[in-house]
Amino acid sequence: MSPKSEKLQGIVQGTLDMLILKTLALEPMHGYGIGQRIEQISNGVFRVNAGSLFPAFWRLERKGWIKGEWRATENNRRAKYYLLTDAGRKKLQSETREWRAQSTAIARILEAERGEV
Amino acid sequence: MALFSIISNGLRSLFRRRRMEGELEEELRGYAEDTVQEKIRAGESPDEAMRQARLEMGSVDALKQDVREVGWEATIESFLLDVRFGARMLRKNAGFTIIAVLTLALGIGANTAMFSVIEAVLLKPLPYSDAGKIARVGSTRLNQEVSFGSSSPPDFFDWRDQNRTFATMFAFYSTEVALTGRGEAQHVRELLATAGIFSTLAAHPILGREFRTEENHMGADHVVVLSYGFWQAQFGGSPEAVGQTIQLDSQPYVVIGVMPEAFRFPLSGSDVYVPIGFRDNVMTQRGAHYLYVLGRLTDGVRVAQANEDLKGIMAQLRKLYPDKDAKWDVAVAAWSNVLVKDVRTALLVLLAAVGLVVLIACANISNLLLARATTRTRELTMRRALGAGRLRLARQVLTEGLLLAVLGGATGLLLAHWALNAIVTFGPKDIPRLGSVTLNGSVWWFTMWISLGSALLFGLIPALRSSGLDASGLVRSSVSSPREALKLRSWLLIGEMALSMMLLAGAGLLIRSFVGLRAVNAGFEPTDVLTIDLSLPNARYNTSQALEMYWNQAMARASTVPSVTAVGAAYPLPLSGDDCSSSFDIVGSSIPEKDQPSARIRAASPDYFRVMQIPVRHGRGFTDADRLGAPRVLLASSSAVRTFFPDGKAIGRILHFGAHCGQEKNEGEIVGIVGDVLHDGVDSAALPTFYTPLAQSGLDSATVVIRGAGVVSQSQSARKLLQDIDHQVLVGEAVPMVDLVDGSLGQRRFYMLLLGAFAALALTLAAVGLYGVISYSVAQRTQEIGIRVALGATRGEVLGMVMRHGMQVAGVGLLIGLLLALALTRTIKGLLVGVSTGDPITLGCTAAVLLGVAGVACFLPARRATRIDPAVALRLD
Repeated sequence: MSPKSEKLQGIVQGTLDMLILKTLALEPMHGYGIGQRIEQISNGVFRVNAGSLFPAFWRLERKGWIKGEWRATENNRRAKYYLLTDAGRKKLQSETREWRAQSTAIARILEAERGEV
Repeated sequence: MALFSIISNGLRSLFRRRRMEGELEEELRGYAEDTVQEKIRAGESPDEAMRQARLEMGSVDALKQDVREVGWEATIESFLLDVRFGARMLRKNAGFTIIAVLTLALGIGANTAMFSVIEAVLLKPLPYSDAGKIARVGSTRLNQEVSFGSSSPPDFFDWRDQNRTFATMFAFYSTEVALTGRGEAQHVRELLATAGIFSTLAAHPILGREFRTEENHMGADHVVVLSYGFWQAQFGGSPEAVGQTIQLDSQPYVVIGVMPEAFRFPLSGSDVYVPIGFRDNVMTQRGAHYLYVLGRLTDGVRVAQANEDLKGIMAQLRKLYPDKDAKWDVAVAAWSNVLVKDVRTALLVLLAAVGLVVLIACANISNLLLARATTRTRELTMRRALGAGRLRLARQVLTEGLLLAVLGGATGLLLAHWALNAIVTFGPKDIPRLGSVTLNGSVWWFTMWISLGSALLFGLIPALRSSGLDASGLVRSSVSSPREALKLRSWLLIGEMALSMMLLAGAGLLIRSFVGLRAVNAGFEPTDVLTIDLSLPNARYNTSQALEMYWNQAMARASTVPSVTAVGAAYPLPLSGDDCSSSFDIVGSSIPEKDQPSARIRAASPDYFRVMQIPVRHGRGFTDADRLGAPRVLLASSSAVRTFFPDGKAIGRILHFGAHCGQEKNEGEIVGIVGDVLHDGVDSAALPTFYTPLAQSGLDSATVVIRGAGVVSQSQSARKLLQDIDHQVLVGEAVPMVDLVDGSLGQRRFYMLLLGAFAALALTLAAVGLYGVISYSVAQRTQEIGIRVALGATRGEVLGMVMRHGMQVAGVGLLIGLLLALALTRTIKGLLVGVSTGDPITLGCTAAVLLGVAGVACFLPARRATRIDPAVALRLD
């Protein structure tokens, strides 16, 4: 097995896609930045490595939800920035809605107490 | 996402692969730099930061591969890679490749050819619009096996007018007439039909009009619709042809129409279509069975319903006309089924047989691949260790199989093309539509699927085995699988042997029954006999005297051919496909009309029996005195005597015959008894037969038979002599009687040759497989054998040891095959004559052949084993 992911093992592919889309909804970002941002916002719960990130970028770009653009970084290095497309924005909205609905439902089930049902 | 963008994205990334690879590389480099910077910022030394970053990112190449594998185009790319690699492997092992491709090509080629035949004969719809609705309606004997005989006009009219299940129905029969008045008399295939032919076959003239119902009456019937080919040949395709008159058998017929170019009826085609002119008293001829009936079913009606409908009508007719219809029934079946009824089983058996051949071919290639896989274990294990997935390796092995299959399939198509040419040229003429076999679209599909199927079949076991290899096997350099592989290969071989045994047994049974049939005495001697059909225009030969004179003249003229010893004439000739029968009553025995017996009737000249060497057993044969005006006489066949005169006292009895085959009602006294003749072929039964003198028959067509050593080589001069008597007479081709005998066995010979060829192919493949496996095991055991020899094993012992393994495999296969053969040869029972399906002699012989071939296949490598030099063998490895 190649050393792909340590902490991400529990995360389903679709979830990583959603996290990337969300990160890009805030602002366009390059690959490394996206990984950092996900780690920061999740308080270090999700540490996404290159092995998962890059195939995901490729996949999302192929689906037309994000697109890449070469720009200069703050340290003046050329980097490929990813931008959310309109289709990606729509996808993010619908995914978020669905996720909310599901997680609320799951939470309710998990917190259900005797007699409540 | 829209399909379009999936495809266009894939294509774009395929074509911009290089640029995208560059971008990805740069992106990854940036990512790595950022990671290192971050670590340094967090306080690591630059070296340590670099090390950690590398650890975190893992192999950049693996990462790139992961990215590449996003999207469908990656699958294609790796497939192309596999193809390139596979092609390289195949080129490197040219010997293996050639053997495998040839093996496959033989299997696939045989299947393709056989399928083409089945497609053309059984599957392709008949060439009429909506042909599935055309049904054959046939008279059958009540409570007997259905055999779609001919029907009488009154029955046909009653069915046509009373049924509720057919949209249209028509009756027809075909004959041959002479086209006269345009130079030399020409032979024309005439189809006589009722007016419903056009609507039933859904085919209409491109020029002129169809028959009218009122033209199905004698006197109004002298109109003709031409086939396209006849129109082109006789009128140069001129539209003026309609309205002109042609002479058929010296009678004028007005051309009223021309059929389309593609129209053929019956399937072999006719030249002219003429309405049947029924006499006014036609409704009284309920006993005259000579019409064939086809109908087009009403929309939504199934054949079974029509069958029931007509059987109901027939039940009424039996009550209404007990004297004529009491013993008759009717049956309806899809026409396409009736046409191929006799050949279907045989063709399907042959297809199953070639299916087995391709299975054997696959087993052989599987075996070869397995042998190679063992030598490739190291290569595959290495690739596994370098990170190739199980699926990836299996795919690689399957791709190599696919390449072999494509090469084999292409070569097979070529072989099939040649085979079909041979089948069309030499195949029997009585299998419908066999002449129209081609490698068409559906055959291509079939070949493609069978090639892919074989690739899967022979590639699967090796693929599974190669993917099951463990990377750790690399460490243990001697993998323990060869012995296991050998066991697997032995089982494959046992299967091959069993299938070969089955095919050999089937072929053996067909050969034995064919040889048996060739030896059957048909009741006449065909060698050195030439036959020529003659048909007289009845306008010129309209009296019995004129006919008698012509026949005498023709026989006299034919006897002037050098070396001729006897000349006769008869109608109908054995094996000609023509037949004639009539009911009769015996003077002095009071049999009611409906129970009248019927028998075959032949007209023959006195010397006919001498030419054909049909023995006169009792009484006398015909003489020249039995001519027109003399007392009418008859000869009875032995079986007629057995059937109708159980007391044996036939001579002197007087019989009355009804009208039959162009002869009026007549009577005659039996003056002699002659030997039986198998009129319909050596595989038919001798039927009760009576002969009348040709001179007294008033027949206007008959076949002249000429006996003489070497007369067969003078067929053209004999024919010319007859033509010169009268150019208005239609003189057929001169055909040696032996050709007619051969033709009657044509289908059997065809099936026998094909099944024999398939069985031989199967045995060869199995023997090659056996040879390969034994050779391989000898090579594997070189060291062991060397040690044995060093320890004192004799050559004989080594030979026996190696042979034992091979013969065990052959023996087990043989036993299984024998059991399968006993169970399955029942399917060819209908093709066998005089041999039981479990014939011990045939099975014993084929088993001996198989063991003999297997013995040779084992002996060659075994002999090599005995020559192993222990000193050399022990120094190996």
